[in-house]
Amino acid sequence: MLPKCPIVPRANGYPIVPGACGFPSPMASDSVSPSSSSDSAYDSAAYQNPNPNPNPSDKPINAIDGQLMSSLVLADSTDSVNHEEGPPSSVNEGDIVDANVLASEESDRTVMVEVDVREEEEEEVQRSEAVVVEERETGGGGGEGEVWRVNSELEVDAPDSPNSSGYAGERGTSSASSACGTGEDDICQVRDGDFVNGVVESQAVWIPGKRHVDEDDASMSWRQRKKHFFILSHSGKPIYSRHGDEHKLAGFSATLQAIISFVENGYADEANNGDRVKLVRAGKHQVVFLVKGPIYLVCISCTEEPFESLRGQLELLYGQMILILTKSVNRCFEKNPKFDMTPLLGGTDVVFSSLIHSFNWNPATFLHAYTCLPLAYPTRQAAGAILQDVADSGVLFAILMCKHKVVSLVGAQKASLHPDDMLLLSNFVMTSESFSPICLPRYNPMAFLYAYVHYLDANTYLMLLTTSSDAFYHLKECRLHIEAVLLKSNVLSEVQRSMLDGGMHVEDVPVDPSPRSGSASPHLGQHSPERVREAYTGTGGPCGLWHFMYRSIYLDQYVSSEFSSPIGTPKQQKRLHRAYQKIYASMHDKGFGPHRTQFRRDENYVLLCWVTQDFELYAAFDPLADKALAIRTCNRVCQWVKDVENEIFLLGASPFSWWGKRIEKCFAEWPVGGLIAGHLRL
Amino acid sequence: MGCASSVPDRTASRGPSSLNPGSEGANDAKNLKVKLVLLGDSGVGKSCIVLRFVRGQFDPTSKVTVGASFLSQTIALQDSTTVKFEIWDTAGQERYAALAPLYYRGAAVAVIVYDITSPESFAKAQYWVKELQKHGSPDIVMALVGNKADLQDRREVPAENGIEYAEKNGMFFIETSAKTADNINQLFEVFFVESIESCCSHMASFPLNMKLVGCVLVDLVAL
Ligand SMILES: Nc1nc2c(ncn2[C@@H]2O[C@H](COP(=O)(O)OP(=O)(O)OP(=O)(O)O)[C@@H](O)[C@H]2O)c(=O)[nH]1
Ligand SMILES: [Mg+2]
Repeated sequence: MLPKCPIVPRANGYPIVPGACGFPSPMASDSVSPSSSSDSAYDSAAYQNPNPNPNPSDKPINAIDGQLMSSLVLADSTDSVNHEEGPPSSVNEGDIVDANVLASEESDRTVMVEVDVREEEEEEVQRSEAVVVEERETGGGGGEGEVWRVNSELEVDAPDSPNSSGYAGERGTSSASSACGTGEDDICQVRDGDFVNGVVESQAVWIPGKRHVDEDDASMSWRQRKKHFFILSHSGKPIYSRHGDEHKLAGFSATLQAIISFVENGYADEANNGDRVKLVRAGKHQVVFLVKGPIYLVCISCTEEPFESLRGQLELLYGQMILILTKSVNRCFEKNPKFDMTPLLGGTDVVFSSLIHSFNWNPATFLHAYTCLPLAYPTRQAAGAILQDVADSGVLFAILMCKHKVVSLVGAQKASLHPDDMLLLSNFVMTSESFSPICLPRYNPMAFLYAYVHYLDANTYLMLLTTSSDAFYHLKECRLHIEAVLLKSNVLSEVQRSMLDGGMHVEDVPVDPSPRSGSASPHLGQHSPERVREAYTGTGGPCGLWHFMYRSIYLDQYVSSEFSSPIGTPKQQKRLHRAYQKIYASMHDKGFGPHRTQFRRDENYVLLCWVTQDFELYAAFDPLADKALAIRTCNRVCQWVKDVENEIFLLGASPFSWWGKRIEKCFAEWPVGGLIAGHLRL
Repeated sequence: MGCASSVPDRTASRGPSSLNPGSEGANDAKNLKVKLVLLGDSGVGKSCIVLRFVRGQFDPTSKVTVGASFLSQTIALQDSTTVKFEIWDTAGQERYAALAPLYYRGAAVAVIVYDITSPESFAKAQYWVKELQKHGSPDIVMALVGNKADLQDRREVPAENGIEYAEKNGMFFIETSAKTADNINQLFEVFFVESIESCCSHMASFPLNMKLVGCVLVDLVAL
């Protein structure tokens, strides 16, 4: 127990007030304009360094190849089992064969470097120590001398253990992810070794925040993570790493930088404008680079997600960084290429890790659409009306959300909010009532807006965005007004009810669809008594329908059915999420026409997807489902979505995509023809 | 040793009210409003101090603050006088440093917090004191708070250093622990009493025997 030391009482019983003489005559409280002051903070934070980074492209190409090899290809090499004893040696020859630039697709500025890795493909997830040793043996000698010479030439922080330059990730197979119950890309490999056990055990609830900070590229556990994300500067300084401590990864970061510079250098012609994306394949691993001016983003993954998906994830990661700092950070690098950005991102691990986690479950991360909380039409209208009031009083955007779902959203005049910005904004965790500068990368990547956030209950929060840094008290008043109206009109209780009831359940897909103009279409959840739903538990909806996802193109919104029994566990949900993501990528390949369908059967599901100019439908069925029935069910789902569209979508908001080419078409067709533009036939 | 506290010496003339009555002008003798801002390095425990004061809780997994969060706490006296603290809990992260004027502008009270186990945070506190002396309101009342006083065995900033610096700069000084609640109420009590004194100096018969106990004001006589 601490001794209590209360304030020293004065004669009159009150503590003493510091008198005017206590202060060295302060100047009038001058308010620094936030934009300029933040700029100057960035500027002053940048210290001058006369030595910009050496251009790594001066180095011999084989040197860089060697770096590439030792850093990435080793993904599939295996660790020395007893590396404490072994001499620093042995980069497997089997892993270092040749790296050829096989193809460059200049049209979409994507460079694919195929690294041919001679190695024994190993599908076993739970490979044993014995297998590890075997692999080492097949590796044989040779090659290592060159790699080490290369390292010293590049002056990359030389790894001091035989493994530390290697990145040995886990092979991604579907069984690998099923071995991983956490919904995280953790180590999924189970060994007799004692260090893995703690990581493998499954966690019901995902807790945001950085884990494994004690790891670095020398730790075996680090190299076995299935998916890494890195942000680094063009001079090779680490900015963010999903796993492990950034500062300990300086050497690895420098290696990545060398590789990127090498790949970049080969395509200097196109390097002048725009972002560049690269893909390096190394066995089962994909290494995707995204270059955004002085910022490099890298994903190393063996999850078998499509390149386009990983690229999109890097874009979002970059967007999240811009949301926190604005693009004006680039200026720090202009002044000093070796600028260290990590202090500017202090405390944001949790923001990045929750974004990366959402890549595993949130369809908005690849659909580029937002989803609404299902609500009766008048309820949402009431919410929209009150938000509109404040938007007219100088608020740029007023957004009422419940977790990641939108209740209502209003933008001032022509302002429209990109779904990606909404995703990034709602991912940016804020406290009960706060006022913070944020930047919406798709709205204006150079400028800060000010976000007033207030939680109305545990899940429901109001965000008011403004350009004025002085607006706090005004926004607070707006909020009080909005809150009072929402309470009075029962919007908040409806929101809570909807959270409990959920939205569309596959069990509720109407079996005999009423004609569109027919009698009163059922409201969500009203035509399905709880016991009926219960009876279906374990079998999904009609004709083996397990789940569906519907994206309205004009509205920038999607709706997905609630998960139920056949896809009940987080593990199953993550697998379906990945399957959707994959089929989405394949549907959005080049040559994408106005109507396209895909019917795909594998051991897990039948996936049916239907893309038109107006909507996209993705549906998952029992793997034994009948094709004709599945198609009929998809038509019913579309009809059902149409019937309840005013409950599941926010109609009348100005979607971002309106302001493109489609605007006239959109006005002509929406809302009447917006949802169903045809009947699916295969 | 344990928690220390000190108050600056009183100067001869009281001058204008040291707690400016707040820009909203809503103050009257019965309902006082005090705008208070917490500044200090990230991780020193600002959010925990506020949470302890406002909700009586301690959250060891407290999240890093972004921008600033706003909280308020109203304290009622038995004679129905109320003091409403409007508290800006600012983010200590470097990227928000330039935005601090947004939050301390117009503040009547600035609480500058450091962590007694971190000399860097003590240096940062001195930076904030200088910044406020330069750019803060001339009337601002400042308090220097050494938090995490429960971590005696890891103490790196002696209480004397805090006291000395505070005295030199005409500040209140107190050591607190948001974890054990030690001295948290005492910290706010200073401002509470201050605000009453400065805003209601006409109330000659203000009860002297009142103390804050667990955020609830009780009449000591009644205890
Ligand atoms: N032992 C101990 N730990 C404390 C105390 N106060 C805060 N902490 C811990 O210190 C950490 C940071 O506390 P916060 O209140 O979030 O720090 P902050 O000053 O608000 O930090 P920013 O929001 O980044 O500016 C948390 O992990 C708390 O658990 C204390 O009095 N004693
Ligand atoms: Mg805080």
